[in-house]
Amino acid sequence: MNILICISCVPDTTSTISFVNDDKKFNSDGVQYIIGPYEDYALARAVELKEKDNSINISVLNVGLERNDPLLRKALAIGADDAYRIDVFPNDSLFVAHQISSFINENPFDIILMGKESIDFNAGQVHHITGSLLGIPSLSPVTQLDLNSNKNKILIKKEIDNGIETLEVVLPAVLGCQEPIAEWKIPNMRGIMNARTKPLKVIDQFECGSKINYKKYSLPEKKDNLIIIDENNINELVVALKLKNL
Amino acid sequence: MSVLVFLEFNDNELKVTSKQALTYANGINKNVYAISQSKISNDVMESLGKFGVSIFLINTVDFQENNILKCIIPTIEEFKINCIIFPKTNSFSYLSSILSTKLNFPLINNVNSVARFENKICLKSTIFSGKAEVDIEIDSNSCILVLNKNIINSVSYNKSVEIKNLINKNDNSLSNNVVSLRKEKLEGDILLSDADIVVSAGRGLKGPENWKMIEKLAKILNAGTACSKPVSDAGWRPHHEHVGQTGLKISPNIYIAVGISGAIQHLAGVNSSKIIVVINNDPEAPFFKHADYGIIGDAFDVIPKFIDALK
Repeated sequence: MNILICISCVPDTTSTISFVNDDKKFNSDGVQYIIGPYEDYALARAVELKEKDNSINISVLNVGLERNDPLLRKALAIGADDAYRIDVFPNDSLFVAHQISSFINENPFDIILMGKESIDFNAGQVHHITGSLLGIPSLSPVTQLDLNSNKNKILIKKEIDNGIETLEVVLPAVLGCQEPIAEWKIPNMRGIMNARTKPLKVIDQFECGSKINYKKYSLPEKKDNLIIIDENNINELVVALKLKNL
Repeated sequence: MSVLVFLEFNDNELKVTSKQALTYANGINKNVYAISQSKISNDVMESLGKFGVSIFLINTVDFQENNILKCIIPTIEEFKINCIIFPKTNSFSYLSSILSTKLNFPLINNVNSVARFENKICLKSTIFSGKAEVDIEIDSNSCILVLNKNIINSVSYNKSVEIKNLINKNDNSLSNNVVSLRKEKLEGDILLSDADIVVSAGRGLKGPENWKMIEKLAKILNAGTACSKPVSDAGWRPHHEHVGQTGLKISPNIYIAVGISGAIQHLAGVNSSKIIVVINNDPEAPFFKHADYGIIGDAFDVIPKFIDALK
């Protein structure tokens, strides 16, 4: 059985976001990049499955630039067997899904795991678009994943509006994962040593245009009108909220 | 531009985000098509004119891949629709993605401005979980837009609704590889992403047993309840209540944060709320810098007083 984890490499959640070049470019100075938190969960679940069944092969894939290689090494240290990077800037959901689905057409996988969304652009659609391009089911956000004994079906739990749905899915399938699918794993020393010799292959991009151009970035307006209300005069707050007619 | 809006209903009532999507669509073209997966009565269909629907497409199918290919796409092509609008919800994520690939329409999520249609389509979208936004230009004359909540106030219209049927092409059915075994409803009556008011609490509450007053406050306000990540990680509250960068992103009219310091990851999930009220005993809590109203005080004193004031 082959599992693919598609990871995004994104600014750490504590990063201060700013822009340069007349607000035309993200300022990556001093920004620490991480494996997207949701993909970290997905990877951890795949490693848990492999711990129970060592015949499972785990590959990780990133669509992105060279600076992401250390994070692919980290994924190898956590427990993936091999890593691939498609060497192109991940412009938008459709573009990235085209890259991933073209890669999977050449290298078939049984389960394709992603995060429910990347934490930079937050569209949360790469999994569904990839599934649609490949003609296989896509489900998100998935909070639980188990294999059946024949390893041809999975049993999952997925969040739906105001509820949880349990589904059985015939493989192959694409899943967008989120906690509590697994606990994050931290690479141990043995993993880090092993990761050095595991294969990390850089692949040329697959031809595919994009119709989406980013012209200018901006930061939301800051609030600067804090009104402090005394706890013994809380009526003031109730009146203020009512006046806003909210 | 011919516009189609996908609507969501709660029982027979059109959701606020769907009303906003209709107002948004009317700004693009007055002739607005609408469709829904919910089964609604004829009366409700006819009443949709006041929210801005011109033509309602009666839908008898689920939005599964088979039906999308068989009914929805032929209908979109027949009526020459080139702009499709969704309110942002969990269930529309799949549908908007499939339509984008099958129709080859560019797809923009988290839209937070009106769109200008010139020879290109120009609009703004939030990125980095609301910490920033970006001006986007789409090289296309067709698009699918997924709208953030509360980017526009819904207005009333005086339209009479024309009702049409979906086109139904008999296609080769795909095999169904996904079987739903069961659905469980979560606790709580108010869906967090729909709630106009949200009461949220953090570690400042010291333990899960102290959430009763939060629930009481939420009930009086007809609000949803939420929590910070440390709280859901500790198992004090269920995971689906976690709002923040790695949890749910919400933009209610009023967000009331109790005992939450306001770490940057938490702010990312809630900073597009219209009004933010922060209750914290630490006057240095970073959340106050992002709030409209602040109460410096112990939650265990303030919340009962708040409840009394509301009574």
